[in-house]
Amino acid sequence: MKVDRRTFLAGSLGLAAGVAATTLLEKPKHRVNRKQPRSRVAILRAESYSQTLGQVLLSGLDLFHLNVRGKTVLLKPNLVDYIPGNHINTHPLLVSAAVECFRRLGAKSVVVGEGPGHQRDTELVLFESGFTGELRQLKVPFVDLNRDELVIAPLLATYTGMKRLWLPRTVLEADFVVSMPKVKTHHWSGVTLSMKNMFGVVPGAKYGWPKNILHWKGIQESILDVCATVPVHFVIADAIVAMEGNGPLNGNTRPLNRIVLADDPVAADATCARLMGLEPARITHIRIGAQFLGSVSIERIDQVAEAVCAPAHPFEVVPEFQHLRVTGSAQRDP
Amino acid sequence: MHDTQQLNHACVQELIDRQLPEGGWPFTSDTSQSAVEPTALALLALPSNSIRERDTAIRFLLHMQNANGSWPAFSGDDGGGSGLTGLALYALNRCCAQGTVTNRAVHWLIESRGWESHWLWKWKFRTSDRHVRFDPDKFGWPWMPETVSWVVPTAYSLLALKHARGISQQDLVHLRIRRGVEMLYDRICPEGGWNAGNGVVYGSPLAPHADATALALLSLLSEPPNDFITASLDWLERRAETCFAPWSLAWTILALDAFGRPTELLTDRLSSVVDPAVVNDCATLAIASLALGCAHGPNALGVDP
Repeated sequence: MKVDRRTFLAGSLGLAAGVAATTLLEKPKHRVNRKQPRSRVAILRAESYSQTLGQVLLSGLDLFHLNVRGKTVLLKPNLVDYIPGNHINTHPLLVSAAVECFRRLGAKSVVVGEGPGHQRDTELVLFESGFTGELRQLKVPFVDLNRDELVIAPLLATYTGMKRLWLPRTVLEADFVVSMPKVKTHHWSGVTLSMKNMFGVVPGAKYGWPKNILHWKGIQESILDVCATVPVHFVIADAIVAMEGNGPLNGNTRPLNRIVLADDPVAADATCARLMGLEPARITHIRIGAQFLGSVSIERIDQVAEAVCAPAHPFEVVPEFQHLRVTGSAQRDP
Repeated sequence: MHDTQQLNHACVQELIDRQLPEGGWPFTSDTSQSAVEPTALALLALPSNSIRERDTAIRFLLHMQNANGSWPAFSGDDGGGSGLTGLALYALNRCCAQGTVTNRAVHWLIESRGWESHWLWKWKFRTSDRHVRFDPDKFGWPWMPETVSWVVPTAYSLLALKHARGISQQDLVHLRIRRGVEMLYDRICPEGGWNAGNGVVYGSPLAPHADATALALLSLLSEPPNDFITASLDWLERRAETCFAPWSLAWTILALDAFGRPTELLTDRLSSVVDPAVVNDCATLAIASLALGCAHGPNALGVDP
């Protein structure tokens, strides 16, 4: 290929800009360190969404010896929108199982909260996704985080360049935050797992629907800033039926038949990525999150239930994220 | 059939009971942080004989206006201006508050625009970032400064500008109205109706939302009839058949009523799902009241300018 001077110059400038951007992003910009010496993850088998999920979940939670007695627990599922037939949201049966488990573990109160990113009618999403009946039956309060009372909070990381965010009082006052993502690929961020799920705490009443400022400030950077500021104490990821391809709304169903529990959001997301056949260290927010929010390395993660097995065929992703897919993986699903 | 008039009176009374001493309304009744959207919708829902409540609400909204003419999203918000500026202005203008307030707000609305209108981002969206199907020459209003245009703030801004009276800069206002209308038509979903902002992402059509669709239609009420509007009204009618959520249902009724489509069955359904004492969200209560009210009187959001 013949390269003229103009092409060379443009290419060099592009390369320099790319290197500069990557270098800037990798530079530590956090004022908090939540990384534990070791992290624990439990991969639990669950064939379907059924009433037995409670038993599966409780046996999994027992492995972590959680102390939530007397604490206010906020369960943060991923509720984006409702499209018939598309597995977009964390399943209501998993959320209700989690409510019952944390009550049994002695939580002072359990609240479910979410601020959907696109759909302004949260009640419609709850109703059509099957949440309304489940939550009513359990008499568990739901807080629309898009419309909750807001408090200004200084950011504990500044990858976006923002110094503060308005956040819902319910989130800031919770003693124990449980991120409950739906395991999906995402056309802007590669994946949407427990860390990306925390976009839902950013209130639409201030930042709009969607929370477009987070896109403009950088999705990967925003994930890091939000997760630094709102600690995720525990993760329950819905990977029973996951989504691949053009997620988070229009991807294809991909059953994994697993629930992933973790006491570390980075370890949870790294494990979910591996279950999806994706390389976690290639996902920017997971890689940088490993500097201060948790662990990505297998050597620092105790798998307390099933071992991590990559699928025979990695999850489909949009073209921009093809580099995330692991090919020729050593570990295969049995 | 429920007595919609009686239910509407109960909604209004509940709104009056929840009005904060400063004159505004919070989103949820268990907080005391006034927000512009529930306040403006409640002001529109209050009948003309609620003189004291309307006056305090108007004073509150006037007090909330930022120095640059915009409105924040809620009490304590910073002064950059929010995508609810159009709604606040529309509500005030419907209550006949005009003059300097309106001119400052209109000036801000003329200046405020989605970032896709900037030459740099326009270039980016035309060359390297083409996964979202839209024309950056057709722009509206963002939720907050330094972001792109979205349907709801654009529709609120169009409502405000189309109804603003006695203002200067008429040519610029007209130009922004045209751009905003073009933006809505450009971002329509393939089956009609509107999602939050765009109709197609990564080659996949997005599903419309009832509330965004209804609000967009209300802002297009004075436009000549066309296929976009007809398809969106048809979609809204189909969607309404299975909609039981008060917020979406109420917006749907307001839009269909404004375009002369039948709403009796939907109003009856709204009556059956709205219990004023149980609806915690003041914005939902206000929009439900407005929808119930148009069964017996004028449609506060469906007025042809």
